[in-house]
Amino acid sequence: MGCVGFVDRRTLNRGRRARDQPRKGDRAMAEEGAVIACHSVDEWSQQLEQGNESKKLVVIDFTASWCGPCRMMAPIFSELAKKFPGVLFLKVDVDELKTVAQDWAIEAMPTFVFLKEGTIVDKLVGAHKDDLPKKVELHMPK
Amino acid sequence: MAVSGFEGFEKRLELHFSGDNPLGLRYLSIDDLQQVLDAVQCSIVSAAGNRSFDAYVLSESSLFLYPHKIILKTCGTTQLLRSIPSLLHHAADLGLRLRSCRYSRGRFIFPAAQPFPHTSFPDEVRFLDARLPATLRFRKASVMPSATSAHSWHVYSAADDEFSVLPPSGSTIEVCMTELDRSLARRFHRRKGDDRSGDEAGAEMTELTEIGGINPRALVCGFAFDPCGYSMNGLDRDRYSTIHVTPEDGHSYASFECVGGGEMMELDCLRKAVHVFRPGAVSVCTAAAAGGDEGGVWSAVANALEPLGLSCRNQAAEDFPGAGTVTYQTFTARRK
Repeated sequence: MGCVGFVDRRTLNRGRRARDQPRKGDRAMAEEGAVIACHSVDEWSQQLEQGNESKKLVVIDFTASWCGPCRMMAPIFSELAKKFPGVLFLKVDVDELKTVAQDWAIEAMPTFVFLKEGTIVDKLVGAHKDDLPKKVELHMPK
Repeated sequence: MAVSGFEGFEKRLELHFSGDNPLGLRYLSIDDLQQVLDAVQCSIVSAAGNRSFDAYVLSESSLFLYPHKIILKTCGTTQLLRSIPSLLHHAADLGLRLRSCRYSRGRFIFPAAQPFPHTSFPDEVRFLDARLPATLRFRKASVMPSATSAHSWHVYSAADDEFSVLPPSGSTIEVCMTELDRSLARRFHRRKGDDRSGDEAGAEMTELTEIGGINPRALVCGFAFDPCGYSMNGLDRDRYSTIHVTPEDGHSYASFECVGGGEMMELDCLRKAVHVFRPGAVSVCTAAAAGGDEGGVWSAVANALEPLGLSCRNQAAEDFPGAGTVTYQTFTARRK
């Protein structure tokens, strides 16, 4: 198993129903140039669907509050969101969305997953300051 | 032998703490961590974490951060011991109390190039004695010899009343290899004109050299330095592993370290790791709970390396407060 991304042409199961309690209150708006943190499975599913339908590149940061390497990459992830407003940057806390983290078999963190129209096109495990921007540029629609 | 060159032999520091906070040291901010590393004169290259610990590949080796344990291993001319004052300061801020400390290293290939306090083992011991709290009142420093003056193992440990008798969890095995097979060492040089990132080139080295196969279950974060050199951290549940390679001819060096599974040591990993480098000389140190069977450890290690053409030249064992029993063996390749 490697630390740099692999290509997995698996298609997502979009029919998954939310099992966690959705959070009351505001729904994240797709503000351009900002990372969207998904706080409920419903929010997560909505963001994914929007991303898939818009044919945007979707980059997901699976992160945990107790993981130093995740904290290291957070500002870099935010900077990339500002730099590439045409890409959808999502953040998932693995404790908050336990079932999602399990479904996606997240073991080490941070894990960055790159999606296009519902298909995983790349994955990057670990905090790699140079590789993450490179992969975003590589997979962005031209 | 080169007159001077990059020093592969690492200095290793292991600190154990206790405290109420279950996350402990993992709360350290990146800024605070970088401040500690600035004192050592190294920086973070890449990192990954899992439920049990955080692993950082550094410009000069590795850092492993568990909630109540830190392992810092640095090579070259880094001043590892200078990390202690700021580490203790930050730990105290997190409500953590230092319980034991172990500092160890082999013998430097280029000892004259080392800065203070690493100028000599007595200098290191005095530095440690002065900076550790008085509560760690059980202390011991010893140089474990080998059959040749070229190799020896230096160990310093300090522990408080309770930790002086508490066995370390599991066992660790540290392997230092020199006189690496030249054609194998060449695999750790970057190709000219290769402008890929160190992570990408490192991943390729991990695969080509079969380092990835040492523990197939582990997530391996490899990094290739320019123009040569390689580091990797492995994460497998709560166990780390790490390899560092200085491939230059004349002073080639590679180290391998991993955590054992309680009583059983990772002999299979040891054998595979040594096979990657086919070194001319190897030293193996283990640390495990005191009162164990060091004769059994010696035999097990020797049996793992014998089929690789390595003969055991010496074996030693000593008890250290807070570190348990440390064994030390050196091996040399039998002439063909």
